[in-house]
Amino acid sequence: MDSLFLQQVLNGLITGSVYSLIAIGLTMIFGVMKISNFAQGDYSMVGAYTAVFVMAWVGGWLGWIGSVVAAAAVVGLLGVVTERLVFRPLMTRWTDIDMIMVSIGLFILLDNLAQLFFGATPRMIGDPFGGTTVDLGVASTSLLRLFCFFFAGITIFCLELFLNRSRMGVAIRATSQNRFAAQLMGIDINQVYRITFGVGALLAGVGGVLYGTLFAIYPTMGALPTLKAFAVTILGGMGNIRGAIWGGLILGVAEALGGNYIAMEYKQAIGFFIIILVLLVKPSGLFGRKEGA
Amino acid sequence: MPSKEEKFMKKSVVLLTALFLLVGLAVAGPASAADPIKIGILGPFTGSLAFNAGEMKKGMELALDEVNAKGGLFGQKVEIVYGDSECKPDKGLAAVKKLVTRDKVLVVGGGYCSSVNIAASEFCHYEQTPDVVAIAISPTITNRGYDYVFRTSPNSPMFLMGINKWLADVKKPKVVAFFMENSDYGRDGQKIWEEASKKIGAKVVANLYFEIGDTDFTTQISKLKELKPDVVFNIASTTEAALIQKQAKELDFVTQWIGVGGQFTQAYFKMTGPISQYAMGSSLEPTKAMKDPVTAAFVNAYQAKYPGSRPGIFSSQGYDNLKVILNAVERAGKPGGSLAKDRAKIKDALKSTDMKLSQGTIKFGKDGQVYTVLPSVVQVQLDKDCKPDTQIIYPVERAAAKYENPTPWSERKCK
Amino acid sequence: MSARLRNILLWVVALAALILLPQVVEDRYFMHIAVMAGIFTILTLSWNLLAGYTGQLNLGHAAFYGIGAYTSAILAMQTGLSPWLGLFAGGLVAALFGLMLGFPALRLSGPYLAITTIGFAEILRLVAMNWVDLTRGSLGLSGVPLLTPIQIGDFRMQFYFERDYYYVVLAAVLFTLFCIRRLIGSEFGVTLQAMRDDEAGAQSIGINPSSYKLAVFTISAFFAGFAGGLFAHFARLVSPELLALHNTFDVLTMAMIGGLGTIAGPILGAVSLTILSEALRSMEEVLKIDIRLIVYGLLLILTILFMREGLVGVIKNVWARVKGDS
Repeated sequence: MDSLFLQQVLNGLITGSVYSLIAIGLTMIFGVMKISNFAQGDYSMVGAYTAVFVMAWVGGWLGWIGSVVAAAAVVGLLGVVTERLVFRPLMTRWTDIDMIMVSIGLFILLDNLAQLFFGATPRMIGDPFGGTTVDLGVASTSLLRLFCFFFAGITIFCLELFLNRSRMGVAIRATSQNRFAAQLMGIDINQVYRITFGVGALLAGVGGVLYGTLFAIYPTMGALPTLKAFAVTILGGMGNIRGAIWGGLILGVAEALGGNYIAMEYKQAIGFFIIILVLLVKPSGLFGRKEGA
Repeated sequence: MPSKEEKFMKKSVVLLTALFLLVGLAVAGPASAADPIKIGILGPFTGSLAFNAGEMKKGMELALDEVNAKGGLFGQKVEIVYGDSECKPDKGLAAVKKLVTRDKVLVVGGGYCSSVNIAASEFCHYEQTPDVVAIAISPTITNRGYDYVFRTSPNSPMFLMGINKWLADVKKPKVVAFFMENSDYGRDGQKIWEEASKKIGAKVVANLYFEIGDTDFTTQISKLKELKPDVVFNIASTTEAALIQKQAKELDFVTQWIGVGGQFTQAYFKMTGPISQYAMGSSLEPTKAMKDPVTAAFVNAYQAKYPGSRPGIFSSQGYDNLKVILNAVERAGKPGGSLAKDRAKIKDALKSTDMKLSQGTIKFGKDGQVYTVLPSVVQVQLDKDCKPDTQIIYPVERAAAKYENPTPWSERKCK
Repeated sequence: MSARLRNILLWVVALAALILLPQVVEDRYFMHIAVMAGIFTILTLSWNLLAGYTGQLNLGHAAFYGIGAYTSAILAMQTGLSPWLGLFAGGLVAALFGLMLGFPALRLSGPYLAITTIGFAEILRLVAMNWVDLTRGSLGLSGVPLLTPIQIGDFRMQFYFERDYYYVVLAAVLFTLFCIRRLIGSEFGVTLQAMRDDEAGAQSIGINPSSYKLAVFTISAFFAGFAGGLFAHFARLVSPELLALHNTFDVLTMAMIGGLGTIAGPILGAVSLTILSEALRSMEEVLKIDIRLIVYGLLLILTILFMREGLVGVIKNVWARVKGDS
C-alpha cells in the first residue's frame, strides 16, 4: 500500500474519531428516548465557545484541560435544561415529527443566539502542543491531531465504564432495551432521561472542544457535525453505541479516501451517498437492531 | 368533516385578506418632499459574511461622516439605507427592490457577493437606477452592456492577473497545483491561472475543489503534499484559508501559497498567527507601507474614527465606493426633478468620474468597470514579535519588502 | 340566507379583495413580498400534503423547489420553450424526482426518512454547484426570461411588474388549493388520513399504503417544482441556494405555525410568517440586532409545545368561545 493511502486513512480516522464522539451522544439519546436531536451539533458549538472563553483567560495546557471540563459542565447543564423544557413535555406524544421539528426549532434558535452573542467572526483556539508534528514513517500528522484521536477514545472508554459499571449506567442501558420493563423494575424513568440527555449533550460538548481545536469556531459550525453525526448514527444503527464508534471511523475514512480517489467536489456528499445505499439495503443500518426503522 | 374545514377556510381567508389590506395600506404612505439624500447600500450584513460586510460598512460610515460634517450635499443631509442580502440571491433581490422602489434611493452602492450582485445589477438595469458595486468581483456584473452598472474595484481577472507577471519574472514555478473553493471565483481563477501556468511552462499536477463551509482539508493537503508543487493556487475566503494554513502545518506541508487579497483580513491574522507567513495574494489593502498620501490620509481618518482598528481591504473599498457615489450625486446637481431624471443624471455623472481615492485612481471604462485600480502583489511577512502582516513585494516601484522563499516548518522561529 | 350562499359570498368577497389589492397598494416592494408569500404558500401546502396527511417528514422539499426552478429556467433559456409550459415541465420533472425519492422513502420513517431526504437535497445542491456547463455553478442562472405576454383580442397582459406576477401567483395558489382540496376531500384523501392514523388497520382492509404514499410524494413534489418555476420567472434568477436546507426549514416552520395537517394552516402560516418576517426586518433596523431567526426558532418550539394545532387551532378555539358566549 502506498503512503498516500495510509496517510488518508490516518486523516480519516482522526476526523472520524471526533464524528464518533458527537454521534455517540446522539445515538444514546435516541436509544433511550427515541428523540432525533437535530440540535446536537449546537451543543458542540456551545462547547467550543466555552473553550474560547476559558482559553482567553488561561492559555496553554491548563486552559485546554480546563476548557474540556468547563465545556462538559456547561453543555451537560444545557442538555439537562433543554431536555426538561423542550423535550420532556413531548415525551408523551410519541410522534417523530414533533420531536424532530422541535429540535430543528432549537437548532435555529441556538445558532442565531450564538450569532447574536458571539458575532459571526470565526475564531481559533491555540494548539497546546505548539504545532509539533509527528512522523510515523509511512504517514505524518501533528501531535495535536493524534492527541485528539486518543482523547476521543479515552472519553468513549469512560462512557463505556459509566454505562457498564455504574447503577445509573445500567439503568440507562435497561431503559434503552425496554422502557416499560425498566419502569416495572422501579427505575426512575425521568431521572434516566435527565442523565441520558445530560451525558449525551456533554459528549457533544467535549466533541465540540476537539472539533474547535482541530478546526474553527463560529456560530453556524454546528450544522456540519449534526449532519455527520446523523449519517454516522444511521450507519451504525440508531441507538447503537458501538455502531456509532465504528460508523464515525468508517465515515471519516470513507470521506478521506473518496475525496482522494473519487471526487473532491463531492466529499461532503459521500456520507449521504453511503447512508442512502445502506438504507436501501438494510433499513436499520449496518449494525442496526432489527426494530430500528 | 369537510364542512368544518371549510368554516376555518372562510374565516382564515377573510382574516388574511383583512390583514393583507391593512399592511398594504400601512406601507403605502407617500414619501415626503423634505427627505434627505438617500443612498442604498447592499451587503450581507447578517450571516457568515457579516464581519467582512461590517468592515465595508465602517469604511462607508467614515465617508458619510465626512460629507455630513461639511453640511451634506446641497444643504441636505445624506443618509444611507442599508439592505441586507444575506449573501442569498433571492434575499438580495428583495433587498435591492426595497431600496429602489420603496426607499427610492438615488443610487445603489455596496454589494459583496457576486451571485447576489449579478441579480441585483440586472434589476437596477431594468429600473434605470445606477448600481455602483463595491466588492463583488465576478466579471459578469459589468460585461453585459448594462448602462447603469458600475464597479469601483477590480474584477476577478484583474485581481488574478496581477500576480501573473510576478510568477513569470520572479518565481518561475515548474510544478503548480490548484486548490480552489467551488465558486465562480475559484473556477475563474483556475482558468486564468492555468493559462498563465502554461505560458511559463509550469506543469499542473492537481485540480482540487472544496465546498465553501468545509472545515477538514487534510485529505486535499495530503494529496498535495504527495505531488510536491512549487506553487499552490488557493482561492479561499478568510476562514477556509486560515484552516488550510493551519492544517498544512499540522501535516508538515510547505509550498508557496497564492491566494487572493480578500483573505488577508485582521480576523484571518488573528486566527492564523505566524502560520500564515509567506502566503501571497494580490491585494488592495491600504497597508502602512503604502507611500501614497491619499491612502495615508484615509488610514489616519479611519483610525481616528475607529481607534485601535486598522482599515482592511473591505473598509477601503467601501469608503471609495461611497465617495464615488457622493461625488457623482454632487456633480449631477441638486435632485428635485423626477426620480428617474435624477437617476439618469447621476448615471451620466458617474461615467465621467475621475477621482484619486484610497485604492488609487478611479475612472470607469465604457463598460462601467474600473481599470485604473491595480492590485499589488503582497506577501505575509512577520515582524520582530512574530506578528503577521501583508507587505507589497511587487511591482518593484511600489514594493516595500522583498519576496521571501517559504522555509520548512522546522526552521521557522515563530511558532 | 342559506349557508351555501353565504359561503359563496364570502369566497367572492375575499377573492375580490385579493384581486383589488394591487390597485390599492402601489408599493412594489409590498407586492414583491406578496408574490413570495404566494410562492411559499404553494410550497407549504405541498409539503404539508405529505407531512400532514401521510406523516412522512420530508426535509428535502427545497430540492423539488430547486429542480422546478432550474428545469423551467433552463428550458426557457436553451430551448426557447414558453415559460408557461416550463412551469408545468418544472413541476413534472420535480414529480419524477419525487417518485424516485418516494421509493426508498417507503421503507423509511422518522429520523431515517428525515436524514435521507436531507441527503437527497444536499447531493442535488452539490450537483447544481458542480454541473457548471448547465447551471453555471454557484453564480446561478441570471436573466431568466419573463413570462411571455398574453394577448386575447385587444387585451394584452405583460408580465414585468410585481403586480402582474401577483395575479399569476394568486391564480397558481388557487389552482394548488383547488387540487389539494379535491384530493383531500376525495376517497383518496380519506384513505390517506386513515393510513396516517392507523397504518396496520388500513392495510387489514385491503389498502396498499405504498402506492398511496408514492402518489402523495409525487404530487407534493410536483407542486413544489411548480412553485420553483414561478420563482425562476419572477425573480429571473436561479441558484443552488434554492435547494438549501434553510428553505425547507422556512417551509416547515410555516406549516407548523399555521397548523399541520389542515388546508388553511399552510396558507395562514406562510402569510403570517412572511408578514412577521418583514415586521422583524424593520425592527432589526431600529434595534441593530438580528432577531428574525431567533424569533422563528422560538416560535417553532413554542408552537409545538403549546399550540400543536397551530394558528388554525387558535382560531378554532376562539371561534368556539365566541359562539358559545353568544
